[in-house]
Order: sequence, then C-alpha cells, then structure tokens
Amino acid sequence: MAVNDAEAKVMVEEDIVYALAASPDFASDGVCFAARSSGLYRSDDGGLTWHNAYASLNLEEPLATMAVIVSPDFRSDRRVFGGVMGGVMCSSDGGEHWSASVFRTPPPLISALAISPDFANDGTLFAGTMEDGVFRSADRGTHWAAWNFGLLDLSILCLAVSPGFAEDETVFAGTDSGIFRSTNGGRAWREIDFPGELAPVLSLALSPDYPTSGILFAGTESQGLYRSTDRGKTWTRLGEGIIGESVNCILLSPEFPTRPEILAVVGSELLFSADGGETWAPWKGGVSIDRGITTALAPCGLAPSAPLLIGLVGGEVLRL
Amino acid sequence: MKTSRTRRVVFQPATYRRMQKGIHKMVNAVSPTLGALPRLVALEPISSRTKLPEFLDDGGTIARRIIQIADRDEDMGAMFVRQMLWSLREKVGDGTATAAVLFRSLYDQGVHYITSGGNAMLLSRYLEEGLRVIVDQLSTMARPVEGKEHIAQIAESICHDPPLARLLGEIFDIIGEHGRLEIRSGRGRALEREYVEGMYWDNSGVHARQMLDPSTLRVELENAYIMISDFELEDPYQLMPLLRKAVEARASPLVLVASKLSDRCVGLLLAASKDPSKFHVIAVKVPGLQSYDRSAALEDMAILTGGKYYTRVAGQSVTQVQLDDLGRARRAWADRFNFGIVGGKGDPRVLRRHIADLRLAFSRVEDKNDRKNIQKRIGKLLGGSATLYVGGLSEIDVNARKELAERTAEAVRGVISEGVVPGGGVALLSCKPVLQQIAAESTEVDRRAAYRILARAMEEPMRTIIRNAGHDASEIMAEIKLAGPGYGFDVRSGKVVNMAEAGIFDALSVQKEAVHSAVSSAALALTIDVLVHRKNPPQAVNP
Repeated sequence: MAVNDAEAKVMVEEDIVYALAASPDFASDGVCFAARSSGLYRSDDGGLTWHNAYASLNLEEPLATMAVIVSPDFRSDRRVFGGVMGGVMCSSDGGEHWSASVFRTPPPLISALAISPDFANDGTLFAGTMEDGVFRSADRGTHWAAWNFGLLDLSILCLAVSPGFAEDETVFAGTDSGIFRSTNGGRAWREIDFPGELAPVLSLALSPDYPTSGILFAGTESQGLYRSTDRGKTWTRLGEGIIGESVNCILLSPEFPTRPEILAVVGSELLFSADGGETWAPWKGGVSIDRGITTALAPCGLAPSAPLLIGLVGGEVLRL
Repeated sequence: MKTSRTRRVVFQPATYRRMQKGIHKMVNAVSPTLGALPRLVALEPISSRTKLPEFLDDGGTIARRIIQIADRDEDMGAMFVRQMLWSLREKVGDGTATAAVLFRSLYDQGVHYITSGGNAMLLSRYLEEGLRVIVDQLSTMARPVEGKEHIAQIAESICHDPPLARLLGEIFDIIGEHGRLEIRSGRGRALEREYVEGMYWDNSGVHARQMLDPSTLRVELENAYIMISDFELEDPYQLMPLLRKAVEARASPLVLVASKLSDRCVGLLLAASKDPSKFHVIAVKVPGLQSYDRSAALEDMAILTGGKYYTRVAGQSVTQVQLDDLGRARRAWADRFNFGIVGGKGDPRVLRRHIADLRLAFSRVEDKNDRKNIQKRIGKLLGGSATLYVGGLSEIDVNARKELAERTAEAVRGVISEGVVPGGGVALLSCKPVLQQIAAESTEVDRRAAYRILARAMEEPMRTIIRNAGHDASEIMAEIKLAGPGYGFDVRSGKVVNMAEAGIFDALSVQKEAVHSAVSSAALALTIDVLVHRKNPPQAVNP
C-alpha cells in the first residue's frame, strides 16, 4: 500500500469500520474510538495503537458497533456512546466501563449517533436506526424514545446536528429516500426539497456557521455530492464528473467557510477542495488505498499537518 | 312571539331598510367580541331560567345561538349574517367578528350608494373584483409561522387562554398542519397531552376478544405480516390455504384485516395460534363505517405496509392471497377498538407521492367533510398523533374549553399552512391604499364607488377593536395614520406599536376567509330586492 511514512496500520481483523470519533482534546490526549463489526476500539495515542473498549464486559462474542460518538465535554464528563443492535452502550469513564440502554423490541439496528453541541446543558442525543427511525434521549442516554412524526422514511443512514442546536434545535437525517429536517430538537420531522431520485443520502455535513449561513452538504450513494446554501431548499451538485461514487463521509474545516476546505470520502478515494467544493483534487496529491474507505475523521481540522484517520472495509484504521 | 300568518312580499325601499335592521342586530351582538380584549355576550340559557346565562366571546357561537328575531323582515337580514358567520366558523374556526363588522360596513355603504342612484348589480360585480385585490394584497404580507413559541402566540391571539395556547403550540410544532389531533375530556382540572407513535385506525379492533392478552386486553406483534382486505370470512376452509402457506414460510405473526369473521374462523385462528412463539395470527376489523372510508383506509394501509389490498368488489377471495402481497410492519397492535401500525415497510417514495396527492386533493376540495376526511388520512400517514385532554372545574367548563380548543386548533392549522399577517386589523388597513388608488384611477362610476366602499370598510375591524378595548377610535386611528404603515394599536399595552415587531399577528387564512365571506355575502345581499315570507314561518334549528 503506497502511503506515507506517518501512516500507522492497525487492527488487521477482517471486519469493517463503521464510524470513528475522537475526544475534543485529541491534539493533547490522543483519545479516539473506532466502531467496528468486531466491537468498539479505543486508542490513547492518536490512532497508532488500539485496544478493545469493551474489555471490561468480558463478552463471549464480539459486540458489533455501528456508531460511536464522544461527548463535546469529554474532558470533564468522559462520556462515550456506542450504537449496537438493540440499544446504545454508554460509558461515563472514557470507555473503560459500560452500561447498556436497551431499546424496545423488536431490537433496532443503530446506524448513526449524533450529539447536541450543548450536551452539557441539554443532555440530548440522537440515534438513527435502519428500520425504526430516530430515537431521542434528553437525559444523557439513559432513556430513549422514538420520535418519528413526519419521518416518512425510517431507514436512517446519517444524522447531523446544527452547531447552533441550543438555539435552532435543528437536526438533519439522511435516509434511503431523501433528507428530513427537524427544527424542534428531533421531536418532529419535515421532508426537505432534496430530489428523491438522488437518494440514498449516505453523509451530511453542516457548516460550523450553519445557523447564519444555512450551508450544508449531502453525499449520496451514486449521484455525487451536493451543497445547499439555504438550509436545504435548493441544491447544487459539486464536483460533477469527479465525484460519482458513494460519498461515505464529508469533513469540513472547523473554520469553514472562512477557510472553505472540504474533504470527501468517495469510494476508495480521498478528494479535497480548498474552495468550498468548486474544484477538487486528490488529498495530498493522491493517497492510494486498495480498499473502500468507509469513514474518516479529522480531529484537528484539515490543515496539511493535521492527522487524518480513515476507516476501511476490512477493519483497518489508517492514520495519515 | 308575534308572527304574521299570511304570506307577505316586501319590496324596496323596505327590503333594504328592514334587512339592514336585522343585520345590525346580529352584528351588534357579535362585534363586541372582536380583538384581544373582547367583551362578553351573555345569552339566556335554553333549558332553564334558573341557570346562569351562557357567557360567550366567540362570534360564530353567538350568531348560532340567535335563532330568530321577532320581526320577520329583520329576521331575514339577521339569519343571512348568521349563516355567513357560522359557515366561516366551521371552515376556519375564527374571524367571525371581523367578517361581521366588515359585512355591516359594506352593506351600509352599499345601501347608501344604491339608494342614491347607484347600480346594485354593477356594484356587486366590482365588490367581487375588489375582493381579489384584497386577498392578493393580504397574501403579499404573509410571513411563515415556525416554532412552538410562535404558534402558541398565534393560538393565544385566537383563544385568549395562555395554557391552552402553549400546549397547542407544542402539539402543532410536532404534528404539523395536517397532523392528527384528538381533543378529549380530561379527568383532572388541567390540560394534558399524549403522543402516539405510528398510526392507528378507530373502530378497527380485534374480531374476537380471545385474541387479546387477557391481562392487558391488547395484543402486540413484532415484525408482523398483514393481509389487507375487506373479505367476509365465513368458511374456515377458505382460510386454510393462506394459513398453511404462512406457517410454511414462517410468516408470523400475521394480522388478517377483514370485514367479517365467523365464529368458526375465530376458532380456527385461535387453534392456529395455540403456541404464539411458533405461529400467531389475529384478525381485525376493516376501519371505517362508510364504504369510501373503508377503501381509503385499506389503500392507506397497503401503501404504508407495502402490501396489496384485496376487495370483494373486485371479485377477489382469500384463497387468492399470496404471501408476497402481505404488508409488513415493525410492530402492529390491536385492542378491542383500535388497530395500529408502527414502522410500516412500504416504499417511502410511494408513501410520499400518496401524501402529496392527498395534500393536493385537500387544497382543491371544498366540501367540509371531505376536507376533514382527507386531513385525517394525511395525519395518519405522517406517522403519529396527539391527544389533548381538556380538564376543567365542571362538565360545562370542560365542554366549553374543548370547543375552544377545537376552534383554535382549526385556526392554527390554517396559520401553519398559510402564515400570518400583522394583527389588530393592520393587515386589512394596509389594503386601503391599493383600493384607494384603484378607485382614483377608475373612470367607471360604479367601480370607483365599489373600491371606495371597500377601502372604507377595511378600517372597520381596527376601529371596532379599539372601541372594544374602551378607547376613542377616531383619536387612535389618527395616531396610527401618523405612525405609518405596519403600525396599529396594541390594546393590551394601550400603545400604538409596529404590530409585526410587537409580535401581534393574525392568521392569513382566517383574514382571507373573513374578507371573502364578508365581501361576497355583501355583494349578494345588496342585490336582494324583494323579501317573500311564507305563510307559516319555518322553525329554526341547531341553536
């Protein structure tokens, strides 16, 4: 595999990485998590080495984890949440010990987790499921209830919470057949004008200044990447002719749109745009990876020197 | 009551004069209720003189309670207004006092113009033309309503009951304009709400009580298969092939939706479900009493669950049912009265198209019952419902508050759908310059008169609101004129304010309907030349 020297290859088991999450203080503590079909893994050295985060549970079989999210106040509350079949695993000590919040039967398959940026005050979490819509918890993951008013497609593929959630209570859900938005903290959903023929929507990303700019991005399975600058009313295709495969993940610079950098995971490629999506080029001149990239994480932003973690089909996590 | 026993015909000028008196009596009874500080109207109780009078601040109900006026000529004018107000109340739930004062102004000015030599028919035609100008003008002022606080604010301006308004704000923020809301009597004194996930159909419980869990009188099924039909299942042998196929394919649990189920079929289903962990089948009734309701429910159920629906009228029978045609749902439940589905596995794209079609039909259909039925269907398909439990000190109190909640809910639906305009009569007053301009540009005398009449009438709701709050309307109207466009009188603070900035709004749908009712009714009433009374006066109904 032709990757640069900084790359570290870990976790060689044949499984799949579904999601990655990192501590907000990743630059100093190096804590990050990888949700895989073989379980949840934790790294304390910025993704160089990994260990089983569920070790304390002494499980006989691996507990497939499809989603993982870390509290924005991880430094003080040490909370981590993992989405599994039938519920959410909760840890309040940085992933050492776990308790399970079991959802009602039939057990839903958690496909995405999202957390309020104001979690310290509102304790709000969202869990997207493959067949049962969106569950919401307002008590730090202890109790969950399905809130699917207006959510006409219950196959949730991704979730995105507004950076201004404390004020605008906005959440987006990408589904098999389009995009839905809630403006009341996930209690009710309305379909937005994203053409149904472009769905499924695999990834969503909201600009850090979404509350004022209304900028968001949506990555589809086979119809490319789209940008809306009016909260989802109208959409413009980006990178036409370049981005055609499934857009599994969209990462924006934390200073977006002042620094309009976007990294898109497209099939097995990493594509980068430095101008808000107008032009695209391979990330760092081209990183060749022989397997599909399922997800990516840029815990310190998209600067050339910042680390990038990518999850692969096969279960590896690469640090680039 | 003294009434004439002979058939009598009344001609002009008595027609206008007598009708006008009746119109004034009815409008005078309703107009005190206009505004944020409405006055009450006390009505003598119908059943007993010893009971307290009924205190009302809803123009539609007041008008409905007035069933007759002693003078039969005046009565025709009063009943004309009554009918207009009640229809408006039924349609949008509010706006009756606005319509009443607008109507009175238009009629009075119109009569004055016609009796001075104007052409009634042309005046009527131009009033209708001006109506379109007003409605367009109002639409340009609309702004959307979003968020529970804003909805609650509008609800409060309609019901003047802050706790009820707050709850309706929350409910409609969740269920949306077409969402399903049931308003029921509560057990305590307070207001409560409950949200139900998924959709359910009334009068669609299980065919036999033995199918329910005896401890909960309910049955819950996970990953259910659903046969959607209106079959009358009489012979157990008809059912056998389907059950056999279902058992072989492990299509369990299975729900059979059917019109009828014989006792012998009940026996078969109970026997087949002896070990529910292996195979579980229940049967529920087809929802709806009318055939239209039934086929609509079956169609919705099929789209929600991705199944096919079978009907007897198409010559289909249970022996033709294929497993591939069964609907699927993550969960299904039933009790003695209802059948519900959560997480139907139909194609979401088809479901969205179906809802879009129903929304289109809703916007086009005029009939109130048809609209209500379509709205119910959309509400069910949106995947949840809310129930508002209304408590109170007494049954009368609860009923009055329930009626208020229903009326407000209806108006709030319109608000969410069409938005709001500046309140306190400002939106209508803002139409005045356009009407005056058209009047000034008109060369045709009756057209000019019609637009002037309309322009003048647009002031009347604001004047009435100010008067009802105990202020001098002329003085404050002059202040408002000086303050400029968008300004009105906040009766609560007693100040002239920018209504939009002060958060004082009216529902656009209500304002449009009120203007529509008033103008089109006035245009019609002004063309009435002759009154004919029957020998025996008809008895009024529905007080």
